[in-house]
Amino acid sequence: MKNKQVTFMLVGLSFLLMLGFSAQALAGETYPIALSLAITGPTSDVGSPYSKGVEDYCKYVNDEKLLGDDKLECFIRDDGYKTEVTKRNFEDFLDEKIVFYLNYSTGSTMAMRKDFDEEKIPTLPASFHAGNLVDSTYVFLPISSYSSQAVGLAEYVAANHKGSGKPKVALFLHPSAFGRAPRDDVKKAIAAGLNIDLVEIVEHGKDLDNTAMLQRFKSKGVQYVISQTVQPPVATMLKGAQSLGMIAKTYGEAGKITFLGCHYAGGPDLIGLAGSAAENYYWTTSYKLMTAPGPGTDAQLALAKRYGRDEKVAQSQNYTNGIMVVQVAVEAMRRAKTKGKKVTRASLYEEMLAMNGYNAFYPLTTVGPVTFSKTDREGVDTLQLYVAKDGVFHELGLPFASEYVKKIK
Amino acid sequence: MSYFFQLVTSGIVVGSIYALSALGFVLIYKSSRVLNIAHGQIIASGAFITYALTVWMGIHIAVSFILSMIITFFLAMSVERVFLRRLIGEPIISVIMVTIGLMSIIDGIIYMTPFGSENFSFPEFLPKVPISFWGISISWTQMVGVVITFIMIGAFTWFFKASTVGISMRAVSDDQFASMSIGISVPKVFGLAWATAGLSAAAAGGIIGNITGLNFDVLHSFGIIVFPVVIVGGLDSIFGAVVAGIIMGLIQQFASGYLDGKWGLNGTADVLPYIILLIILLIKPHGLFGIHEIERV
Repeated sequence: MKNKQVTFMLVGLSFLLMLGFSAQALAGETYPIALSLAITGPTSDVGSPYSKGVEDYCKYVNDEKLLGDDKLECFIRDDGYKTEVTKRNFEDFLDEKIVFYLNYSTGSTMAMRKDFDEEKIPTLPASFHAGNLVDSTYVFLPISSYSSQAVGLAEYVAANHKGSGKPKVALFLHPSAFGRAPRDDVKKAIAAGLNIDLVEIVEHGKDLDNTAMLQRFKSKGVQYVISQTVQPPVATMLKGAQSLGMIAKTYGEAGKITFLGCHYAGGPDLIGLAGSAAENYYWTTSYKLMTAPGPGTDAQLALAKRYGRDEKVAQSQNYTNGIMVVQVAVEAMRRAKTKGKKVTRASLYEEMLAMNGYNAFYPLTTVGPVTFSKTDREGVDTLQLYVAKDGVFHELGLPFASEYVKKIK
Repeated sequence: MSYFFQLVTSGIVVGSIYALSALGFVLIYKSSRVLNIAHGQIIASGAFITYALTVWMGIHIAVSFILSMIITFFLAMSVERVFLRRLIGEPIISVIMVTIGLMSIIDGIIYMTPFGSENFSFPEFLPKVPISFWGISISWTQMVGVVITFIMIGAFTWFFKASTVGISMRAVSDDQFASMSIGISVPKVFGLAWATAGLSAAAAGGIIGNITGLNFDVLHSFGIIVFPVVIVGGLDSIFGAVVAGIIMGLIQQFASGYLDGKWGLNGTADVLPYIILLIILLIKPHGLFGIHEIERV
């Protein structure tokens, strides 16, 4: 009798174990990805909506079963814009066996390029500095680099300048590797024949007033200022220019200055800071703005609504930015799975490099396809120009790609 | 020539706002010999309170500005009561360390609100067309800022020179034990010093926020930016803060106007104040108007 009971219990236990294993197998695999960024501290106005974009899209992937029975596990940690904290976070993430990493700042990406290579982990940062790609094989830029953006804007200035002679241009840069990123490439483009006169390159400080700089620009005949920095210094400059009556009401207006800026130097938040002084500000990015109706923007608004985000977050290009990097990671996973590969760092890296030609990825959150290859790790090559009118950024013309960037590469 | 006078005007405008921002440091140091490291955070808090009252509660910005000063007055007084009152008589370095902790606490609180990670701007209530004369332009925001600054500096100067409470505060700054022996309540004086510093910080925050827009990083950085002003003027001199503020404003404008863009120079407006600070401290270690105390042994 006792033997019968023991046998029965053993059979029952084996059945339970089998059930447990098969349930686990049915539940699919979990793919951990991670993001370290500034939710507090400097640039948290960018980092906060960015992290929400990543978080929401990760939830969406799991809720909508975009990876079938497999799940995405997303680790997000604040680093306060401190590289040493980013590095510590990254090391912690490695313990979680992450297969894809999302980094944030230019400084930490530059500092940790070697770590990404050592770990052979595909990495998408929020920094679009072309220097991130130098001496590195695992860093991918989601969109056109700052250099491509600044050179693209300079090309637009050259092509659309009203008046005789070369357009006089000044660069207004953040005093860091992030700000200086496009400086040399703009000079190279000029050397390669770009028809502008680069009158001055300014690295700004924490200024309360830019009168001296703006008056100097005026005395040198500067008609266009291209900014590669964050929004607050641009807002202070625009407010100063407004009070001095220097902002061009129409593009290239004679005797006035037309202000233009790269991705982080503009967007809806700039209007929030500068108010009416941001009117007629020209801004470029590779992301689709929420003011441009279309399937991508509709989906983003729906996503923000679904996960309880307010209007400001829903409209932010940095929310789009966060969504887009997870879209790319998930697409690489999906493609690896379709080919019957196991989702690993190596297979995701292969899929990232194969994302070109007919295999280009169209995430709908950008103005062009995401393409990567062994020789090109800049994602979206096209840019869209936007102009601020009546407190909203509107699309201006069709997406374009910088010609001179190809020439100087 | 109008270029030169434009730089002078802008220098005075910027300098007077620096002076108002520096005032909070001076008011606390003058009465308690404590350097409040969290001053930038209080400036930011004042600006955000003004915004919240104006935009979220629909109060007119002028009224919000005054209400924000009153609220920050009591908030700063409460901070002193809760965190610093127990440290009276303790080494100054302990109190300064507490203000560093306070800075982190205020940072944390602000990061829990939308102000920590979003950008805002005050509703535009002043004319957009600048005031122009003799080829010089000054925006209405800057003009109003300068007027408020000078009113407040004048009021504080009178307060410390002529009012009983102000004289008590100066007495406490000179010698806490001697002040207590003649019946001055040192704790009350400390509380009042923090409260008035909070009031001036809220005014500075409101003015800076109107000029730059409301971004937490930008606003709290003014606590550090005005540091050379406080040191050059003398930590315990209101008049020194005004003079040093204007000197710094002028230096920045002239550096930016005449040095930047020439001979490969750039960003001199950020560096020059610190070079001047070093030179002045070499010649006058207590700042231009700081009191040089001589201890007889």
